[in-house]
Amino acid sequence: MFDRRRLLFLLGAALFPFAARAERYVEPEEAARLIFPDANEIVPFSVDLNKAQTQEIKRRSGTRVRNSRISGFEARRDGQAAGFVYVDAVIGKHEYITYAAGISGADKVVGVEIIEYRETWGFEIRDLAWRAQFRGKSPDDPVKLGKDIENISGATLSCRNVTDGVRRLLATHVVLGR
Amino acid sequence: MTLKAYSAFAAAAAAAFSPAAASADEQVFGYVRGVETIPQGGWEFYQIATWRGGKGAGTYNAVDTTTEIEYGVTDRFNASFALKTLSIDTEGLVIDGYLPGPEHYVLKPSGIEAEAKYNFVKPAVAPVGLSMTFSFDYAWLDPHSGRDKNTFSTEVGLQLQKYFLEGQLIAAANAALEATYADRAPIASLPAGFDWPTDPEMEIEVTAGAGFSYRFAPGWFLGAEGVFQTEFETEIGQERWSIFVGPSLHYAAKKWWATLTWFPQARGGGEEAYPGQTDRLHLVEKTKQEARLKVGLNF
Repeated sequence: MFDRRRLLFLLGAALFPFAARAERYVEPEEAARLIFPDANEIVPFSVDLNKAQTQEIKRRSGTRVRNSRISGFEARRDGQAAGFVYVDAVIGKHEYITYAAGISGADKVVGVEIIEYRETWGFEIRDLAWRAQFRGKSPDDPVKLGKDIENISGATLSCRNVTDGVRRLLATHVVLGR
Repeated sequence: MTLKAYSAFAAAAAAAFSPAAASADEQVFGYVRGVETIPQGGWEFYQIATWRGGKGAGTYNAVDTTTEIEYGVTDRFNASFALKTLSIDTEGLVIDGYLPGPEHYVLKPSGIEAEAKYNFVKPAVAPVGLSMTFSFDYAWLDPHSGRDKNTFSTEVGLQLQKYFLEGQLIAAANAALEATYADRAPIASLPAGFDWPTDPEMEIEVTAGAGFSYRFAPGWFLGAEGVFQTEFETEIGQERWSIFVGPSLHYAAKKWWATLTWFPQARGGGEEAYPGQTDRLHLVEKTKQEARLKVGLNF
């Protein structure tokens, strides 16, 4: 099937090779282990959202669902599900920001890890202090930049899109009935 | 575009890409301004080269360069300082009162500019972002004729910006009001009957612009922008106006960015014209085409 996004990315990469260079701070599976350090099993999963699920996530989170394929890891402790880690990408000012959000069975954010961040400003987004703001957030919280999540100067768009992304993943977690 | 003008543009472009060159609060447009400011303690350096060419008669090419450094005084307040140069190559064209004859030189220092920018609202946390700029400009060369002319200008500008599609589409709009005091130096050998007023003059210039830019691949933006500009003088009222519209291509890496804009004049007019001037364009002070290359470096 014709993949327009991939074609555009390859075109950009061909026009300017620097565009395709990746800087990854942590591998997705490693991010899952950091979020759920007590888990003794990290099992990858992938699920395709149907149209009704996509619309429900959009309604609950107020954000668009750009990718209907949801992937990540199920963290298990002694055979029991400890939670799910969703690996997601949002738009930064120039590049996609890849991050992982771990959500417990009680529908609360356990942790957020930045996997890739390549913007000029706002590397504080990787700081524990900024990411710690998400801990304990539930689908009932606003999870909104400027309300319960503080901004980082020079990286406002990146902060907003990661914040909106975590809110969307909380809605996704609920809609998928995890 | 003659060899000299090519050389001047190439020199300016080379200066823009030299390792010493740097950038600013990433500008996806060539002419329209965004609202973002650099954070406190951040520095940005930019090199801008603008080619202006074609007046419908004779030969006219000019290249303006701006070398600018900007500092984040606070997260919302930035201050910048710029040095400007002018390169000009004109032949076979005389415009009474404006262009007394041929002129040729490359990269002459032409002026300085200081600007302050304050961001009131960030576009990522509000429906629309808002910033204000205030600048002071002193120039000692006339950008149109290339002759000696002392010009003092102050400009107040407002910038609006909105992010669509999580920032994949950026829209911006500007409005600015500029007041100018200008005083031309006398020229010893003018053409017979040529009017070259040396009394000081005052002008008010109103500029409005808008643009949008779409990120079609990581780091790459393609957009379009347009600028309407008009000048008012005491004796004439609205002296002239012009509309430029064109595409902009922008690339941003982690530490630098570049924006290239092709900016032809779509429509224009005014009180004055000269033999050979193309209809429906303002070519007394403007040109048929402009192109601008901006390069920025963040540090």
